[in-house]
Amino acid sequence: MSYMIKVKNLEKSFGRLKVLKNVDLNVRESEVVVIIGASGSGKSTLLRCINFLEHPQVGTVEINGQLVDKNNEQEINKMRTQVGMVFQHFNLFPHKTVLENVMEGPTQVKGINKFEAKKLAQYYLEKVNLIDKKNAYPSMLSGGQKQRVAIARALAMEPSVMLFDEPTSALDPELVGEVLCVMKELAKEGMTMVIVTHEMGFAREVADRVIFMDDGLIVEEGIPEHIFDNPQNARSQEFLSAII
Amino acid sequence: MDFIDVVIKYTPFFLPAAWMTLKITLLGIAFGLLIGLGTALMRISNNILLANVSRLYIFVIRGTPLLLQLFFFFYVLRQSLGLEAFSAAYLALAIHNGAYIAEIFRGAIQSIDRGQMEAARSIGMTYSRAMRRIILPQAFKRSIPPLGNQFIIALKDSSLASAITISEVLLQAQRLAAANYKMLEMLTIAAMFYLFYTSIFTWLVSWIERRLDVDSDKQRGLV
Ligand SMILES: Nc1ncnc2c1ncn2[C@@H]1O[C@H](COP(=O)(O)OP(=O)(O)OP(=O)(O)O)[C@@H](O)[C@H]1O
Ligand SMILES: [Mg+2]
Repeated sequence: MSYMIKVKNLEKSFGRLKVLKNVDLNVRESEVVVIIGASGSGKSTLLRCINFLEHPQVGTVEINGQLVDKNNEQEINKMRTQVGMVFQHFNLFPHKTVLENVMEGPTQVKGINKFEAKKLAQYYLEKVNLIDKKNAYPSMLSGGQKQRVAIARALAMEPSVMLFDEPTSALDPELVGEVLCVMKELAKEGMTMVIVTHEMGFAREVADRVIFMDDGLIVEEGIPEHIFDNPQNARSQEFLSAII
Repeated sequence: MDFIDVVIKYTPFFLPAAWMTLKITLLGIAFGLLIGLGTALMRISNNILLANVSRLYIFVIRGTPLLLQLFFFFYVLRQSLGLEAFSAAYLALAIHNGAYIAEIFRGAIQSIDRGQMEAARSIGMTYSRAMRRIILPQAFKRSIPPLGNQFIIALKDSSLASAITISEVLLQAQRLAAANYKMLEMLTIAAMFYLFYTSIFTWLVSWIERRLDVDSDKQRGLV
C-alpha cells in the first residue's frame, strides 16, 4: 500500500526537551487525519516536521513516495510545493493584496506567468468564496476571511497534501464555521489532509482517523467514534472528558 | 557693517563648501545603506563566519570615534589604496554609517513576525527569495524613521571631514574667519546651512513616512 505521507521513527528535541519521541504516521491518499491532544504534547511540532519547518533529529519523511533528504534545501523546497500549510495566525503577506498573496507562490516558486497565475488565483479565491475581496489588503479582512485567503494561497500551489495547524483557534466563534465549511468541501473533493484542531464536532464529522498525542507520543488512534465514544487510553479519556 | 550684512555678504562664499558637505553626506549614506543591508543580512544568516565578521565590524566601528576612522582612511589607507582625500572622507563616512544602518535593518528584519518567513518557506520559496519579496519590503518600511534619524546624524558628522582637509562647510567657516576675524558670523552661516539640510532631510523622511502611512490607511480601508 502506498501512502501520501509516510513519517517514520520521528524524534525531535528543542535543546534538552524531547518533544517528539519516535512517532510514526502514515496517511493514505484522500485520507483526513485529525490530531488532538493536550497543549504541549507535540502536535504542531509533528505537523511542522512533515514539511521540515522543524528539522527532526531522527527519522524520515516520505511525501507521495518520495523520501525527502532533510539536508537538501532544493529537495525540501520542491517537497513544500506539494505540501500546503495553513497556520493558526494566517500569516498572510500584509504588503500584498489578497490576489497577490495567492499569486505569489505560483509566480515566484513555480514560475507560472502572471496571466495564468491570476486565473489560477481567481479560481481558488472563488472556491473559498472571496473573489469579491481580491483587491483588498489583508488588514481589511475579518479573521475568517484571512484564513480562507490563506487556504486559497496554499491551494494555488496545487499541493497533494494540506496541513492545518489549529486553523480556527484564533477566530471569533462566529467566524469558525466559514473556515470549517471550506475545509469540509476540500475533504469531500478528496484532498489528503492532516489537521490539528480542537473542533471535536468537525473531527467527528470529517475525520477518517483521529490521532491522540500525549507527551510526544501517539498514544491512541482510530475512527472518530472509537476515539470519542470509547477511548481506551487513560490519558485520552482524561483529555476528552475535560473538553467535551 | 552690521551682523546681517556680513552674513549676507559671505553666504555665497559657502556654496562650494555646502555642495561638498552634501556630496560626502549623500555618498556616505548611499554606500552606508548598501553596506548596512549586506551587514545586516550577514549578521542574521546561519553562516557563523559571516555572522561573526559582521559582528566584529559593527563592534569595531561603534566602539571607536569617527574621527579616528577618518584619520585611518586619510593617513593609512589613502596611501596604500591611492585614494583622494574626498574618497577617503565619504568612504569613512559610509563604513561608519554602515554599522549603524546595519543595526537598524537588523532590528527591523527581526521585528517582522516569524510566521511571515514560515509562510513564504511553506509554499516552497527559497530563503533569499522570501527575504527579498516578503521580509525586506516590510522591514524597510519599519526602518524609515530610525534611518531618517541616522541620515541627520551623518550630515552633522560630515563636518569632521574638515579634519582631513575636506573643504566642507565647517572648514570653510574656519578659513574665512581666520582672514576676516568674524567667527560669530561665519559660524552662523555654517549653522544655517546645516539647519537648511536637516530641514530638508526631516521633511523628506516625514513625506516618505506619510506616503507609506497612506498606503497602510488604504490597507485598512480608510481611504
Ligand atoms: N521553537 C521551539 N523552541 C523551544 N521549544 C519549543 C519550540 N517549539 C515548541 N517547543 C516546545 O515543544 C513542546 C511541544 O510544542 P508543540 O507546539 O508541538 O505543542 P502543541 O501540541 O502544538 O501544543 P498547543 O496545543 O499548545 O499548540 C512544548 O513544550 C513547546 O514549549
Ligand atoms: Mg500547536
